[in-house]
Amino acid sequence: MTRGVLVVDDDPFIRKLIATTLEDVVDFELHEAADGMEALEVARRERPDLVFLDVDMPRLNGIDACRELRADGGTQSATIVMLTAVHGDSVQRSAEEAGADLFLTKPFSPLELLRMVDQLGTS
Amino acid sequence: VSVGSKSDLRAEIERLRAENEHLLAELGRHEREASAREQQLHKYAHDLNETFKQEKARREELQRAYRATVIALSELVEARDAYTSKHAERVTAYALVIAQAAGLQFASPQQMEFGFLLHDVGKVAIPDAILYKPDRLSAEERLVMEQHPVIGSQTLSGFLGEAAGVVRSHHERWDGRGYPDGLAGKKIPIAARVFAVADVFDALTTDRPYRPASPIAVAREMITAESDTQFDPAVVNAFNNVPDDVFERIAAEMR
Repeated sequence: MTRGVLVVDDDPFIRKLIATTLEDVVDFELHEAADGMEALEVARRERPDLVFLDVDMPRLNGIDACRELRADGGTQSATIVMLTAVHGDSVQRSAEEAGADLFLTKPFSPLELLRMVDQLGTS
Repeated sequence: VSVGSKSDLRAEIERLRAENEHLLAELGRHEREASAREQQLHKYAHDLNETFKQEKARREELQRAYRATVIALSELVEARDAYTSKHAERVTAYALVIAQAAGLQFASPQQMEFGFLLHDVGKVAIPDAILYKPDRLSAEERLVMEQHPVIGSQTLSGFLGEAAGVVRSHHERWDGRGYPDGLAGKKIPIAARVFAVADVFDALTTDRPYRPASPIAVAREMITAESDTQFDPAVVNAFNNVPDDVFERIAAEMR
């Protein structure tokens, strides 16, 4: 079954990297957004199963976007993976409170990313 | 300098200062982004390195296990055949050095090695009464016995590729009087022609219940005498170009 994956990061390089890493490993339809506002817009329209959400972004940050996604009936069941910086202990706590399911520390390990998505795909 | 131009100058300095600050902030942002990307690249390089090492170790382990399985299978065949121990491994080593002397290059050397090792695997399907019969086989019994290359190659065709041809044709003769297909000359796969020489050489140079081992020089004479009848002359030539000590070393390693 094709899964919808939404990658949200203000750096297009990171978005492309994640997309390329997952290519052909999982069957998915890729959506991208460059900030929190755009993420909400795309998520409401595309109903992704999995969302990679960067924390530090212009307009609307990842934590707030996560909270909004959880509050919306159409997007609340998505699996949300927060992309956090290494030194982000307090960030991780507020992300958890906002309803994030999983964390991937930046710079992330591509193998960890693949394992994560692989497990989500088979469960 | 007029008052007006003085305040203009001040305003210009302010503007430049603001622009400078903005550019510095931009630069800082670009630097952070570049550094983040660089760190991310390092993570990828690290994972790639790990993955490659793991994959290599797994491939080697698979190769080792594959080879061990084939050798175990060949030893199982020999255990029943009660021929001489390590015959298959020795013949395989002889065949490989003769093939090299003949300048042969197999598409898959490993498959060929496995074909040599398992040449007699079809004997497991031959009844004890025929395989162990001390007397001469009847015509009917001989027909059964001569099925072993066919049974062997059919069994192995799934994973030996072209090397299955060695198993099927290792008892063919250059003059066409061999079995199971009565192939002659170059119709016999070259690896099987090489193997035939190696097989007879090992039989001649090891002790049998009914005769002692022949010296290498005598074995060479006997094989050369069958050049163009039992054996491919080009292969016999290559065989005679392999120095004694190469065969002696193999025999000493695999006794």
